[in-house]
Amino acid sequence: MTGIYVHLPFCPYICPYCDFAKWPHKESAARRYLEALHSELDAASSADSEHTVFLGGGTPNTYAPAAIADLLARIGAKFPVSQPREVTIEVNPELVSASALEIYAAAGVSRLSIGVQSFVETEIRTLGRRHDAGQVRTAVAAARSAGIASVSLDLMFAVPGQTKESWRSSLETAIALGPDHVSAYGLTVEDGTSYADWRAREPAAFADQDLEGDLYDVAIDTLEKAGFEHYEISNFARPGHRCAHNANYWANGEYIGFGVGAASYRNGVRSTHTRDLAAYVAAASRGLKIPDQSERLEGAQRAGEAVMLALRTAQGLSFAAFKERYGLNFLEYYASIVEPYRAAGLLEVDAAGARLTRRGRFVANDICATFITLP
Amino acid sequence: MTAHRSEIAEGVRNFCIIAHIDHGKTTLSDRLLEMTRTIELRNMEDQALDAMDLERERGITIRMHPVTLSYPARDGKTYQLNLIDTPGHVDFSYEVSRSLAACEGAILIIDAAQGIEAQTLANYHLALEHDLTIIPVINKIDLPAADPERVMGEVEELLIMERSECILASAKNGVGIDEILEAIVHRIPPPKGHRDHLRALVFNAQFDSYRGVVAYVRVADGELHAGTKFMSMAHQRVFECTEVGIFAPHMQPTAKLDMGGVGYVIGNIKSLGEIDVGDTITGANDPAHVPLTGYRKAVPMVYCGLYPNEGAEYGALRDALEKLKLNDAAFTYEPETSVALGFGFRCGFLGLLHMEIVQERLERDYGLDLIATSPSVVFRVTRTDGTVEMIDNPSKLPATTLISMIEEPYVKATIITPPDYVGAIMEITQARRGELGNMEYLHDGRVIMTYEMPLIEVIIDYFDQLKSRTKGYASLDYDIIGYREGDLVKLEILLSGDVVDALSFIISRERAAARGRALAEKLKELIPRQMFEVPIQAAIGGKIVARETVTAMRKNVLAKCYGGDITRKRKLLEKQKAGKERMKRVGKVDLPQEAFMAVLRLGSE
Repeated sequence: MTGIYVHLPFCPYICPYCDFAKWPHKESAARRYLEALHSELDAASSADSEHTVFLGGGTPNTYAPAAIADLLARIGAKFPVSQPREVTIEVNPELVSASALEIYAAAGVSRLSIGVQSFVETEIRTLGRRHDAGQVRTAVAAARSAGIASVSLDLMFAVPGQTKESWRSSLETAIALGPDHVSAYGLTVEDGTSYADWRAREPAAFADQDLEGDLYDVAIDTLEKAGFEHYEISNFARPGHRCAHNANYWANGEYIGFGVGAASYRNGVRSTHTRDLAAYVAAASRGLKIPDQSERLEGAQRAGEAVMLALRTAQGLSFAAFKERYGLNFLEYYASIVEPYRAAGLLEVDAAGARLTRRGRFVANDICATFITLP
Repeated sequence: MTAHRSEIAEGVRNFCIIAHIDHGKTTLSDRLLEMTRTIELRNMEDQALDAMDLERERGITIRMHPVTLSYPARDGKTYQLNLIDTPGHVDFSYEVSRSLAACEGAILIIDAAQGIEAQTLANYHLALEHDLTIIPVINKIDLPAADPERVMGEVEELLIMERSECILASAKNGVGIDEILEAIVHRIPPPKGHRDHLRALVFNAQFDSYRGVVAYVRVADGELHAGTKFMSMAHQRVFECTEVGIFAPHMQPTAKLDMGGVGYVIGNIKSLGEIDVGDTITGANDPAHVPLTGYRKAVPMVYCGLYPNEGAEYGALRDALEKLKLNDAAFTYEPETSVALGFGFRCGFLGLLHMEIVQERLERDYGLDLIATSPSVVFRVTRTDGTVEMIDNPSKLPATTLISMIEEPYVKATIITPPDYVGAIMEITQARRGELGNMEYLHDGRVIMTYEMPLIEVIIDYFDQLKSRTKGYASLDYDIIGYREGDLVKLEILLSGDVVDALSFIISRERAAARGRALAEKLKELIPRQMFEVPIQAAIGGKIVARETVTAMRKNVLAKCYGGDITRKRKLLEKQKAGKERMKRVGKVDLPQEAFMAVLRLGSE
């Protein structure tokens, strides 16, 4: 399985916490970008293996539905899509229409990921977003009637001003809409964003780790009670609705990224395209090599990264797979690290593998950091 | 010896420059070198005598470096002027004393804007003790805030010298330098001694890995040349001199060193253990009976434990300490073991600055990652059975029931301050068990205060407090005045229920509980949240006096980790791991290095 990721970086407006490669939508820029993207896809060598497809952003649905359908056709021509097929598009709820969803579905979209973040009016505004709960309800219903197999809602906690109660109400509203999948992300304040400046000025506006922990508890309790499996740190799914595209990242699988700032992992090399839009468009549209940054990890460093990824998931790390891929006996190689965590109830170990316990997931960074081998 | 008449080395003058820190000693030294063409202008690096980077950075001289100047005076004769540079910081006053023992005169620099400071007075009194001729130089007269008239008033008042004896100078602009050189020739007496019966004072020494010890000497009697068999009087060891020379300013071999002269001696001396700084060397065939006196031996006053952050670096630390010791007679070390920190060394220093400098050098020059424990002084403990022991490590203090008395070193502290801060100084000094001795108002409105107070209180955080409470205007100098009995207890810190020996310290009973509370609070601030809750307790004689808790880490997890995030997130975890590796694991608690120095950072109470 190889993941195909395509980055569509334009947004109707910019959210103050976002640090993705994104730009405010401009017709001409968006058109030139799409042409460059087509060129990049055309230049790529095709592959026979199975692929998942993920159109992310940015806000992919700032492009017209026909453009999306055309793009998916181009991708499909190059990269055979897996069976059952998983083709995801991220959308912003206020730009979604029933007709657009019909076109997506006809073009093979099987999974819709809606950027909701919150159902609480004040939080939505704090996040600088402009939709309302009604638009999300309409979008979910339209996706269903269009026959899109899996609908996911993105929610965010540790939003300034959020309380346990308001967070629970967002979760419950989301659940009531009947999604198949929920991503619940703790707000990460990234350097260089407006939020970073805000936090520097007013740190008290932001949740401390105690509140953040409480909110994470609320998310897990509420979603598990509603029948969602907590299958990755931030992801919850009804049975049969886990995201295969993302699972491939955590399995340290290969993926190919297209578009500005997109990342690839092939033959042991991780590379990321330039985040300079003009530089990307210039190179891609002329069929030149797209400027990138890459690194190749070896040995224990590569293994440590794989542990970091695997421990994010509920199934955790498989000893057999780890041995086969990295040539290391996990329990022997990390013996001094594993035992204290196991004894403390942070890591669960059985014959087949190791995984974080619920408590372990709260401090996954501290645990994973100990498995990392410094360069 | 008494049978011979003493003679005069007419063409020689030995002098040093003493000053409060920042009053311009190094700049003046540089100007003297320039004016006498000892260093060509084009080769002149600012502050030529401060050989070490660290000294240049901190603007202080730690190690003395003598230099011989050749000065053609106005009287038509050329004089050999031996300048012995001296450290300007209170920690190194013993080095000042060594310099003074090698001189007949001293230039006392006073900043024309700041006036006489505590250190100026201390050095002045030291110079008087050594019977030196003093030339007061009022420096920095170019400053807008300069007030030489006022400062001359202070010279009259505090130094009991004539206003007319003062030389006004601006070392920076080269003003007054000629006059200073003439004053050195005409006011400072030439050295007196005997032409035979070699005696020379070793006032400093450097270790050179190729040539062994290079001893800096002042020849009091007789002469030294290659081939002279000489003996160190302290160690009764005999060496053969292979080279003598002067510093001009770099080492330059000469045929001999004459009576009254200053220079260096090399003689296959393998280590500083074979010859002491402060030692007298004499002719092996015709040895003198009485060594030269007049210097104060360096005694470490402040101790702390130094431990490698990684146990594996123990050997490297030991080697580094050995090398440092070769060049730093005042510094001592011996192996010790801490339950919390493993194998390390108990090191003795002259004061806090000396301690910081040694630590910095170990980290910078030797690439070591160190943990330093809270500094301590040497307590004199009398047990109930009458035995007396010196305790330089709080964790070695015997159980209370076995102690009949604890004595601690006291200092006489001299503080000069503008009058506005007298109240603040009284407050912070009395809180540290200081007893006010004298308080005097100077002509310029400033106040001289003297206190007697325990050294431990001075080293813990007094200097920082004094500087911050007086906006940097007060100056401090202190002198050890002996041991006094104190009502002292050991304050222990427990983390997760276990005593951490490296965090214990000895303190007055009266202040112990408050300090314990402050320290527990400070540690709570410094210790990052861990996977487990960490209770912090402060205890006196087993009784808990303060309790704080570092709550367990609640949530620390990256929300998103998709294709484009992986490298960045891994790097984040690498950074986190590297940070954790810099911490010291004690039991199951990870402690940052600053935690061991927390007691120094308590601030005002």
